[in-house]
Amino acid sequence: MKDIIFAMAVRNVKINILRSILAAIGITIGIISIASMGMLGTNMTASVTDSLSSMADKLSVSPYSGKGGGGGPPGMSGDSDNLTKKQFKDIEKIAGKYGYVYGVHNVRAKVKKGSDEWSTQVYGLETDAMRTILDNLTAGGYPSTDNSVLIGPTFASDNDMEVGSRFSVGGSGVKVSGIIESRGMTMDLNTDSAIVMTKDMYESLFGAKDEYNQANIVLEDINDADAVTTALESQMNRREETIRVQDSSRMVSMISSSVTTITSFASLIASISLLVAAVSIFNIMMMSVTERIREIGVLRSIGTQKKEILRMFVYEATLIGIIGATLGMILSIIMGYFFILIMVGSTKYFFTYDSLIHLPYAMVVGLIICIFSGLYPAWRGAQMDPIEALRAE
Amino acid sequence: MTDEVVRLENISKIYPLLSGDVLALNNISLSIKTGEFVAIIGPSGSGKSTLLNQLGCLDVPTSGDLKIGGKSITQMSDSELTHLRLIMIGFIFQKFNLLPLLSAYENVEYPYTLKYRKRDTSGRVTKLLDMVGINEDLAKHKPSELSGGQQQRVAIARSLVNNPKILLCDEPTGNLDSKTGVLVMNMLKKLNSKGKTLIIVTHDPGIAAQADRTITIRDGELVADVVNNQ
Repeated sequence: MKDIIFAMAVRNVKINILRSILAAIGITIGIISIASMGMLGTNMTASVTDSLSSMADKLSVSPYSGKGGGGGPPGMSGDSDNLTKKQFKDIEKIAGKYGYVYGVHNVRAKVKKGSDEWSTQVYGLETDAMRTILDNLTAGGYPSTDNSVLIGPTFASDNDMEVGSRFSVGGSGVKVSGIIESRGMTMDLNTDSAIVMTKDMYESLFGAKDEYNQANIVLEDINDADAVTTALESQMNRREETIRVQDSSRMVSMISSSVTTITSFASLIASISLLVAAVSIFNIMMMSVTERIREIGVLRSIGTQKKEILRMFVYEATLIGIIGATLGMILSIIMGYFFILIMVGSTKYFFTYDSLIHLPYAMVVGLIICIFSGLYPAWRGAQMDPIEALRAE
Repeated sequence: MTDEVVRLENISKIYPLLSGDVLALNNISLSIKTGEFVAIIGPSGSGKSTLLNQLGCLDVPTSGDLKIGGKSITQMSDSELTHLRLIMIGFIFQKFNLLPLLSAYENVEYPYTLKYRKRDTSGRVTKLLDMVGINEDLAKHKPSELSGGQQQRVAIARSLVNNPKILLCDEPTGNLDSKTGVLVMNMLKKLNSKGKTLIIVTHDPGIAAQADRTITIRDGELVADVVNNQ
């Protein structure tokens, strides 16, 4: 080896290999914790963003009730206020050039099947909107008669219903014409546990002719969300607050940001394990210096400079760090992969740049902590009086 | 006229302790010429080791002036003293003090790499080891795998690798059997005959008798400086 100081550091690590590995394991655990938490955060954020992105292109406009905003999709609040026919036409006029605008009636209504009675969400849509928005049915077809409805998959399975099943809603008998494919949680219509009927049928059962609870806009370009919101608010809320616009992309970014905050906090907690590792490295390096006091005395007496003694011990700490970091990186990939598979349910984003960048990041942090932990013991070794050191047994 | 390699002018060394100052060396003046063989003797605690530490630039006197190779060391920084040790002084210790992590060859090569910032490719290390009777095979061994005599011979080779002017020996035969001790002393005398300044601290009157000059220290004071008649 070219640098004899480095060679001596390597040999000392080799001679005390068990002790060095035990110290390195501390760093390994720290790196696994930080990298795994980081990767978990990235994968979770990506997964949540991906799940929510399908609804990020939607805006919902509801009448301003003066009750303030709240969580959840508009229309789910049970608000009795409706958009007037004129308001809906204005919305269509302003937002129509940015995407598809459709009106939504909704109410929680009593449903009865046999002796069972419960309440559920009922939506009323134009047939055209029904075909456009609910474009996938798992069974049956769209309502063709006045008393046929679509039902969500959860509603169907929870109540043992299929195409052709009959029940009553709002006191009127209906027949299931089709079952909507699961859409999960969306910002516009939550149809999985709901009944969807035509606008005409809804208005004949629940009234509110041409007065929708909300207007939904499906944007052609997601980047137009701010422009449409501004246009609607500036034109329709000019004199007084008449409508409330909910931009689902804001909610998506808010949720993503919350996930990131939670995982960042978890990473911070995980980094405590690196502090424990730092104490372990510090202890090992202090032991190494104490055991080699006489050797330090010999080295100094035959012409080794203080900075070379310092370098030797820093090399040693760095080597322990490299062993720990390399081991940590390999195990982080393996454990992180399974950890994310279990926690997130998918490793679709595992091998992406944003996910894997946590590995070198954790390695560098681990290595720096290792070097810093070795600095004080190394400095102490370097500062030793050669005469005193030569006397040591 | 022979060059003066070591000059001490009224040097004193005081160790400040909580219980009071300890005067380890008291106003010592002496001069050692290049190529001299000097033995320093005295009872335990007399200040021999303290004097050796001053001569070896491991410590600096509290007062007085000490010149090594014509340079005053009293105002030198730690880094300058360390460099002076590297190029001017070869240490031979009673307990050999070889570096346990390095082979015999590497132990000899170590000061060379510190001085020249490169490994030895000139064959100097091998030549020195050969000179002290350590063959290529033995040179691969770690110090713990060598006998005391072999270790001391490696230590002598190490002390010579940077061609120092002064060899400082602290009881060089103290840990050796008498036969090996004689061999080591013969080796040191041979080096002295080739021009190396040899300073030996010893309790052994037999070794002191072999020197050109014997300096006796007692209670930190120089009590005798005698030229031996060989």
